Amino acid sequence: MSYLLAWTPFLDPIPIWSNAVWPWMLVPMAAAVSIVYKSVKCRTMSEVPREASVIFATILAGMAAAAVVLAVVVHVMEWAAS
Amino acid sequence: MPESPSRSAPVAVVAVASWLLPGLGYFLSGERVRGLVAGLTIILMYTFGLLIGGVRVIETPGYGDHGQRLMVVQSGAGEQINESTGESEPAEGTWVMEVHPIDELRNKPWNIPQVLVGPIHLAACWGSVLASRPAAAGSTQPIGVRSHARTNEIGSLFAAVAGMLNLLVIIDASSRAAENREER
Repeated sequence: MSYLLAWTPFLDPIPIWSNAVWPWMLVPMAAAVSIVYKSVKCRTMSEVPREASVIFATILAGMAAAAVVLAVVVHVMEWAAS
Repeated sequence: MPESPSRSAPVAVVAVASWLLPGLGYFLSGERVRGLVAGLTIILMYTFGLLIGGVRVIETPGYGDHGQRLMVVQSGAGEQINESTGESEPAEGTWVMEVHPIDELRNKPWNIPQVLVGPIHLAACWGSVLASRPAAAGSTQPIGVRSHARTNEIGSLFAAVAGMLNLLVIIDASSRAAENREER
């Protein structure tokens, strides 16, 4: 909390070093990519909110699945090495 | 809400406008909502990258960690005679961007996608150089803090992905402008 109080926007980096915080940066990244990609792809802009929501959820689900698979691989390799 | 492209600027103008301000190319093609949504998202994403990593997350080609110009001094040219004082002093050298611009860009590869965001990135480069310089004369403490590890990676990534998305927007806006002109 004291880090945030001393934070100067644009001059200091946001204190997100904790492993519990930085992975959440995937959410704004996936949202922005989904919105711009679907704004380019869709024929009319009325389709964008629904299409972007679908691809946003797909990206998050894909990333979560990749994280689970990688975690399992690491655990298996650790178990095999021990 | 289907948009009707009533007018369209020349393709080259649309492409340059899209680079100058993300989304402006769509505006010139009459697709205001598309321009607003795509442009604002790209600008916000780039700004978010700078907020995460600080402005010094942008590595400006030709400038060093302390905001100084990077100079190349040829071997053997260690000293030169100052014409006004007649004393010998260290050779000044040539700015690296004049002699090895490609090598310097290769040293800072994130800049290549980031520059696709347009003049906003050039302003950020200038801000990064200023923030790298000492806060006061005689001080070694720079104005801005340099981020490291995850914070630096995530900030650079946000700015670079914003640039790549703007490339997508530049191509699409130009393509739509070309189609509109063919239809007329």
